[in-house]
Amino acid sequence: MSPSQDTPGQDTPGQDLSQAARQLRDTIAVQFGRSLHIRTLDTGSCAVCEQEIRLLSAPHYDLHRLGFFFTPAPRHADLLLVTGPMVRAFGEAARKTYKAIPGPKVVMATGACALGGVYPADPFVHGNVGEVLPVDVWVPGCPPSPLALLQGLGVAVGRLAEKTPGLTFIAGQDIAGGAG
Amino acid sequence: MTPAHLPIPPSLPQGAATMDGVVYPLTSLGGLQIRGSGTTRGAVTVRVLAENLEAVTSTLAGTPGLRLADMFAADDSPVTTLRLVWAHDLGYLVTETETETETGFDLEGGGYPPLSSIVPAAFVEECEIYEQFGIRPATGQALDRVMLPPHAAHNLPRLGHRSPQPPGGANAPHTVDGQAFEFPFGPVRQVGVESLYYGLVTSGEEVVDLYLLTWHKHRGVEWRLRGKTPREAAFLVERAEGLSAVAVGWAFSAAVEAALGIEPPPAAARTRAVALELERLYNHAAAMAALCQATGLAVGQAAAEIALERLLRVNAAAFGHRYLFGVVEPGGVSRAPDADALRRELPGACDELRRAAGALLSTNSFVDRLEACGILTGEQARRLGLVGPVARATGLPVDARRAGPYDEVPVTIVTAAAGDVLARFNVMIGEAAESVRLIDAFLDAGTRAGCTRLPVKGDGPGGTGGGSPPCTEKAGGGTGLGWAESPRGEALAWVALDEDGRIARARLRPGSVRNWRGFDDACRSRNVFTDIPIIEASFWLTVAGMAR
Amino acid sequence: MPFWFARGLRRGVVTTHYPARPDRSAALLPTPPAFRPRQLTRAAADRLVAVCPSGALSRPDDALIFDVGRCTACGRCAEAAPDAVTPSGEFELASTARSALVKKIPIYGETR
Repeated sequence: MSPSQDTPGQDTPGQDLSQAARQLRDTIAVQFGRSLHIRTLDTGSCAVCEQEIRLLSAPHYDLHRLGFFFTPAPRHADLLLVTGPMVRAFGEAARKTYKAIPGPKVVMATGACALGGVYPADPFVHGNVGEVLPVDVWVPGCPPSPLALLQGLGVAVGRLAEKTPGLTFIAGQDIAGGAG
Repeated sequence: MTPAHLPIPPSLPQGAATMDGVVYPLTSLGGLQIRGSGTTRGAVTVRVLAENLEAVTSTLAGTPGLRLADMFAADDSPVTTLRLVWAHDLGYLVTETETETETGFDLEGGGYPPLSSIVPAAFVEECEIYEQFGIRPATGQALDRVMLPPHAAHNLPRLGHRSPQPPGGANAPHTVDGQAFEFPFGPVRQVGVESLYYGLVTSGEEVVDLYLLTWHKHRGVEWRLRGKTPREAAFLVERAEGLSAVAVGWAFSAAVEAALGIEPPPAAARTRAVALELERLYNHAAAMAALCQATGLAVGQAAAEIALERLLRVNAAAFGHRYLFGVVEPGGVSRAPDADALRRELPGACDELRRAAGALLSTNSFVDRLEACGILTGEQARRLGLVGPVARATGLPVDARRAGPYDEVPVTIVTAAAGDVLARFNVMIGEAAESVRLIDAFLDAGTRAGCTRLPVKGDGPGGTGGGSPPCTEKAGGGTGLGWAESPRGEALAWVALDEDGRIARARLRPGSVRNWRGFDDACRSRNVFTDIPIIEASFWLTVAGMAR
Repeated sequence: MPFWFARGLRRGVVTTHYPARPDRSAALLPTPPAFRPRQLTRAAADRLVAVCPSGALSRPDDALIFDVGRCTACGRCAEAAPDAVTPSGEFELASTARSALVKKIPIYGETR
């Protein structure tokens, strides 16, 4: 099973999304709901995203209590945690790392660089991890804090509901932005 | 052994009281034009004619108290200008030489004299200049690849105008006899660390040789900065090496200010210094955690990580960002620290760090692992032009914290003698204590937000017309040098601005660029390869800063 | 090791309860902006598009398009138009659909 990929900026046209999405979430929850092994991949970050990722196993955050574990071996991994704007020279290494992880697997792109911000596409970088790898979960931030990363991991295994579809980023409306 | 605390040594050459005094003896070599504070503000500039470059470089290399801080080129079509930046306790000296002029060097035999034979600290820079500008030293010696990957180099734009040159031997093939083999490691390495390739030559346990390839993270930052306004550029500059965002951002902003002939308000300069010391504190805590992880002491790692997390929260409370992004900008600072929050929260966090360090130093199994590991001698550090805690742990008192806010609050430089991992660890602990003292002193003297407005079109705070009215003055093209002491060593930046005040050439030299070249020497000094992560943690560099 | 064990017990537990319970330290984090459509004119929107260093804002037609995925929470848009932009306070932004991170902000400020 390979979770479906959304092309950035486009919705998948004309499917019964809710049925397929529900099945997908159930499958993910069964496969990964109890424990998830994470392999990290740096495609050209500024090194700060890596520091936040390292803090996931620190006492303040302790991802182990949630059943998440880091693994250096791609063979043992379930989730690939990708940072950086996908430097073009790194593409081959990224693809090899992805292929070395046996399915089922989830790809989580973290940080503004990986999502298309900071570096636009140019001769040096793709600018967006989704150009090279099929991304399943996108986590914004610069850097995403360990709390944001934990929420991302929770969403990836279907344990937490996503908030962003319901957020409008219009101040004063029900869901977002009253804070001021 | 406690590290030595030295006041800044007044190491003046005979009779010199200013940088001009350092430079004056060069006049005997002839053919020089010395410009007082120079076209490159922030430094004394010496224009050196091509035929004198070798003699001048030899003289400078032999001057006590002077070290090569950087070497880079700039495209001034049809010529390429080669600049060497020399650092002295009194200030900086930049030599400028035009190559590819009609009366210039013979390009068939090379582009310029063999500077790295005179100053070994220039070798990596020669390789980088060859990749980007196509000019090379006249030795015919093989140059390594530094920034550009072999399989994609032809597609990548260069900073120079000459057509792309493939660098010669990429890390000349090792003659590995029957007893040693080469172990390729990376670029995808262990969990949560940056991508980096090691070519590790080992006979099984000991490290015979180690070479590093850092091009996988080359994002072309210097290329991308061209044409940007200083404020636009500052956003990318602090993300060149995010763990030194304040230091690299400060060096860049200072270079821009020097080029425009302005200075930040004094209270803003003190704010920068507070942010810089907070950056040093969290980096040293992170290095401590990495050392514990590398030595397998999980309880120590947890203790250091608790301190690190508390320090990051102090940063967020004081400046609104855990890693202090967006604080320093050209002209000053965008935010003042929340001094009350800082005074309230920082002592507890630093105490946590101090107690963790104390506990680690009383753990014999930990200290044994660090002692006599990864030794660098003062001679090696001096020869390679190393900076930061790595250099200070060999006894070299190099520290870029001078001038500006440090005139009122001078820094006590922390050094050690042994040059091993333990010495670097002790230097970091000493510096953390010094950072707390400095933050208190700067807060007492007063810290505020504020920017001196840049005389540049459309670059005031608020971007294109949001805050202050857009400035209609045009800035003449100028050049400037800036510096700051990042947690991993001196960060330098040099900019050339065009008449609109946009960047024509920006040179970023984070501390990592100087110190990675000392890493293989440190690893080769009778270590086993399980020592490599320990040595890497004690250097606490970044690949991003090298590869930018 | 007994020393470290005793030390750990003395230090106590610092682990967050997130996501079971909210974590107060989240209040310190910078967050993407939320916009006030009635304070947003087309001119202000264009200024915001120009000032964003990360390409998160664009205005292809009569609305401001905000790509949360590209936002670094740098605050330059809030600095450029403080009436129209305020911190959203949201940091739980993970999304399985990239398109769910792209938001349309109406421009209602053009009343005159």
